[in-house]
Amino acid sequence: MIVSELPDGELHRLLGRSGLRLRLGPIVANIASPFETVEAALALHYASHEVLPDSEFADFHVAVDPVPGLRRWIRPQAYFRFDANPPFNPLAASQAFPLLEWGLNWCISAHCHQYLIIHGAVVERAGRALVMPAPPGSGKSTLCAALVARGWRLLSDELTLIDVETRRFVPLPRPVSLKNESIRIIAEFWPEARMSPVVHDTLKGSVAHVRPPSASVQLADQTAVPGWIVLPAFRAGEPMALTPLAKSTGFMRLVENAFNYSVLGRRGFDILADVVAASDCREFRYGGQLNDAIAVFDDLARVR
Amino acid sequence: MTEQAQWRAATPQALAWRRFDDEIVIYNDATGSTHQLGALASEVMLSLIQNPSGMDLRALVGALTARVEVAADLDVAIEVQRALDDLTELHLAARAPA
Repeated sequence: MIVSELPDGELHRLLGRSGLRLRLGPIVANIASPFETVEAALALHYASHEVLPDSEFADFHVAVDPVPGLRRWIRPQAYFRFDANPPFNPLAASQAFPLLEWGLNWCISAHCHQYLIIHGAVVERAGRALVMPAPPGSGKSTLCAALVARGWRLLSDELTLIDVETRRFVPLPRPVSLKNESIRIIAEFWPEARMSPVVHDTLKGSVAHVRPPSASVQLADQTAVPGWIVLPAFRAGEPMALTPLAKSTGFMRLVENAFNYSVLGRRGFDILADVVAASDCREFRYGGQLNDAIAVFDDLARVR
Repeated sequence: MTEQAQWRAATPQALAWRRFDDEIVIYNDATGSTHQLGALASEVMLSLIQNPSGMDLRALVGALTARVEVAADLDVAIEVQRALDDLTELHLAARAPA
């Protein structure tokens, strides 16, 4: 059963009691929260995700709960709990759903060392993965959402998982997180996108999430081989250019953006070296021309 | 520093490297560090890895010029010595004990 097929009231009941046991690609998370905003966002963004019975193993038990005491009434706050412990400071209650998403990212990146995990977006075309490892502000999520809008399959907007045994890219299809100006850009570029209400004044500025396409969720068990490593660099108004990038430089950008490279040590080096050897490496400078950008990426996929 | 000084790869068992075109990336398990080496430093490092007993500057220059074409106006010995200094600072190369 998927979330959208739950009987009326069942999502609310699960979130308020034992938790919603949700399959997120290869990960199972058990999520509890009394916040209506969290419930609404889960119903929207995870509509196509599989709900598992309590008897199934959950990798992570997480909750987003109100901070008790006076904080329930004065500037209410929410905190994220992982196995009953709060690893982060609380945030304004209006940020409860982004807090859940960030908390889940932390759970996965800090614990799932069966994957080499890159901070970067990854999409797929014809079985090949296009990875965009990049720091915030590079426009990777904007590009990722735009590519997904035009038919590339979403593997992940934030956490690129590489199986340490197979070197294949493992899908983790979850909502695409947009920030600040990119929210308006994607709303205009992809009017059919199912986007959550904008949450303002977070640590990352204004944040909104876009629901992952059902097709991407349904294909979450189909991994991809290395295809392209593209370093996006957004500069407003700058002309677009896709240029070759030395593989050694592409390799180092992956290392810099990996969450657990040092945990995996030499194994991490070998994995990334294999991935880079099998990928085309490019640098992509653009100034916001999304239609042209998509055409460039479509051409790249055709040439391969 | 004399030309007779012998150089070798530091902690060779701890090194893993991969060549991409004319550059290598190299991981040192002894320090946990990963480095991207330029073309000349890559050739010097590979020479040291392939000659675990050590090489002096003259042998390194000879190995380099035999493997790659270098510009006529380049003082190869100075550039190789500079690369050795850099590699030493990165804990990738070390002077072999006399």
